[in-house]
Amino acid sequence: MIELQDALRKKEIWAIGGGKGGIGKSLITGNIGITLARLKKRVLLVDADLGGANLHTTLGIGVPEMTLSDFLNRRVETIQEVIIKTSIPNLSLVSGAQDFLDAANPNFAQKARLLRHLETLDADYILLDLGAGTSFNILDFFLFADHGILVVLPEPTAIENAYRFIKSAFYRRFKRIVTGQNIKDLIDAAMDQKNSMGIRTPYDLIERIKQLDPESGDALEIEMMKFRPKLVVNQVRTKNDIQIGFSMKSACQKYFGINLEYLGYVEYDDCVWQSIRSKRPLTVEYPYSRPARCIERIVHNVLRKEQLAASMLY
Amino acid sequence: MKKIEDLNYYELLEISTDASSQDIHRAYERIRKTYEPNSIALYSLFSADETASINQRIEDAYRTLVYEEPRKRYDALLRQNLMTPAPVALPPVEKRYQMQPVQPSLSLEADNRYLKSTEPPPAPPVTTTPQPLPPTITEFTGSVLKMLREQRNITTRAIADMTKLSTRYVDFIEAENFGKLPARPYLRGFLVLYAKALGYEPERLANDYMKRYDAAMNPPKQK
Repeated sequence: MIELQDALRKKEIWAIGGGKGGIGKSLITGNIGITLARLKKRVLLVDADLGGANLHTTLGIGVPEMTLSDFLNRRVETIQEVIIKTSIPNLSLVSGAQDFLDAANPNFAQKARLLRHLETLDADYILLDLGAGTSFNILDFFLFADHGILVVLPEPTAIENAYRFIKSAFYRRFKRIVTGQNIKDLIDAAMDQKNSMGIRTPYDLIERIKQLDPESGDALEIEMMKFRPKLVVNQVRTKNDIQIGFSMKSACQKYFGINLEYLGYVEYDDCVWQSIRSKRPLTVEYPYSRPARCIERIVHNVLRKEQLAASMLY
Repeated sequence: MKKIEDLNYYELLEISTDASSQDIHRAYERIRKTYEPNSIALYSLFSADETASINQRIEDAYRTLVYEEPRKRYDALLRQNLMTPAPVALPPVEKRYQMQPVQPSLSLEADNRYLKSTEPPPAPPVTTTPQPLPPTITEFTGSVLKMLREQRNITTRAIADMTKLSTRYVDFIEAENFGKLPARPYLRGFLVLYAKALGYEPERLANDYMKRYDAAMNPPKQK
């Protein structure tokens, strides 16, 4: 395992999102961070949930003195000054904004500064815990990351939001690479599900763009193949729940033409709830529990660039 | 990149073109679970109508690929289609439920995009509704099953793959080797699988067969 990671010396940014709130993004981010830190990697967790930060709580840290909003509002010069050491070796944290109402909506310059500073940091892995919703800030962090990880629950509400998130993310990505204003407008219009042009799926959109501008159409098609969001199904109770990940992968491929990578699932277990209640991280409190094992598998799958195979269900 | 309607049967079932019949069967089971009408993984993506038409295509794909002969013909059409990038569009053939059950081919979907006008008319497509019995057959016996199977050019191996029974039991069923067959409830289950694999009504087939089984195994007591 160690040698394998030495090959991956380069710093990586992972973003964990999912559209819906309360699906375990912070919990999974925190525990992925701990798992990586145990593999002797220097890990920085960044609570990018600017409106409802609570990553520090999942790590058992009280309300921190320095937060991301101090950095965003230039009360400190560098991001280094808001990094807090945790009790876990190799793991540090930039806590989310607590105070500012408008901190939830950083402007473009603030966002750019944050991303620029993240790039210069000396860490092996930077994990971004994204907030709920599909606001541009969240999408931009997701797209900026080397690995975008989506968390869903085996429930229609969470799945619906996950699909909306995927769709919003790649439409945003599309918009950034095309140049023509007419095509940008077309993408905006296509985002509206009830648009009058009959564009319902990304396929329809690309076909339409190809008619207008074949070059952009081809570029988008390539972009679509390169976009590989990753999926984690949380709170899995049955084999059918595990199957949902494979089903979403298939549906995503057939509906969006997007390769969703099914990284893994986290089993439902009371010990997760107990660890949250006791404000002690799951992988510290119950390192041999099934959910903790599941998280280890997810981490290993990202590191090895692997995913679950449907044959595991037979 | 292809729209879902443009996927060929292999792409639809997410298998390679050299998949074994077991692979096909597994892929079918999996994909059917994925696209079952109330699957929450489809929620907010596909409408009920779209799901229904995807399911119909999945059935067509499975029934074509799982049988040797139709699969060969389909593969030939695919190859031809690859070489002639602009397939000739034929007027739609309305043939949906017009069945000729004794005809050896079970499937080969009427997929007009792959047909050139010189091709023989497509074989009747398979539907998910059970097929009517050929008029000459009044009862499903072991030998009738064997005959129906052979008419379709399906090997016992293929049946075994589809039903997950061993070929031995398929042979025993066809030979009416009742002594070697498992206990009643299991046998009934086997027969239902067999009926589904051949595309006949499971109830009818199992009832007929069980009647013969009971008559042979529990002869009426002499008074």
